[in-house]
Amino acid sequence: MSKFWKYVGIGLLIVLIAIQLVPNELPAIEPENPADIHESPWMEEEISVVIKKACYDCHSNQTKYPWYSHVAPFSWLVAKDIREGREELNFSEWGNYDPLDQLAILDDIYGEVEEEEMPLPIYTWVHWDANLEDSERQALMEWAERTMDEIAETIE
Amino acid sequence: MKKLFLFSAFGFALIIFLQAMPKTDTPIQPELNDEAPAIPEDVMAVVQQKCYGCHNAESKNEKGKEKLDWDELESAKKGKALATMKKITEVLEGDEMPPEKFLERKPEGKLTDEEKATLLAWSSGKKK
Repeated sequence: MSKFWKYVGIGLLIVLIAIQLVPNELPAIEPENPADIHESPWMEEEISVVIKKACYDCHSNQTKYPWYSHVAPFSWLVAKDIREGREELNFSEWGNYDPLDQLAILDDIYGEVEEEEMPLPIYTWVHWDANLEDSERQALMEWAERTMDEIAETIE
Repeated sequence: MKKLFLFSAFGFALIIFLQAMPKTDTPIQPELNDEAPAIPEDVMAVVQQKCYGCHNAESKNEKGKEKLDWDELESAKKGKALATMKKITEVLEGDEMPPEKFLERKPEGKLTDEEKATLLAWSSGKKK
């Protein structure tokens, strides 16, 4: 029996090492983001703190990769989530969005944050500091609503 | 005995106090917002026929109601209204609504090209 487990252990180890060789590219980090929402008139200090800790890893070009994000199979999930996250909303590309898209995004932010669909549970499970307090959720929602009003003023 | 008296006196005072509290749950009437762009009649005609069944405030279709509620849109603020119109445009352009599952049961619910064009002209702000 002990021999059996030894083989299982060695087998697992080999698989673990082998999957490290599967090519997987983590989305790149861009240090300069001239279109970032922080360059727009809509960012506020309190909100900046919240979105940087709870959203920026997936929704900006300034991802902070922890060590295990370089280790398969975690790296696959991390790469996929960040790729999809940036595609849906990239705060670093904010200025390149059409104002109507910005409105639609802010409306989505309101809903997702209200329904606690974001940040993703699998993300906050590891990054417990990204877990939003009720007061932070409320602040984000109010900011989204306020900013929608302000952007709407600039249209037509 | 003295304890019992004190206790009931306290209870009585509490009831009086709670009765005197102002009621906070009076319903707030939705404010009709006049800065929101009004929905034209031809658009509303299509909406009534093809969308409103699921997308209304009383809808039993929770997902449909959550995603879009025409009753709410009519009184929405400008920013919210424009955001919603943008999303409607995307859904229409992708032919995502009405959902295919729904059309299997109710093929006549499909938007005609004309109807789709009417909705898109309004939601995207572009002429037909």
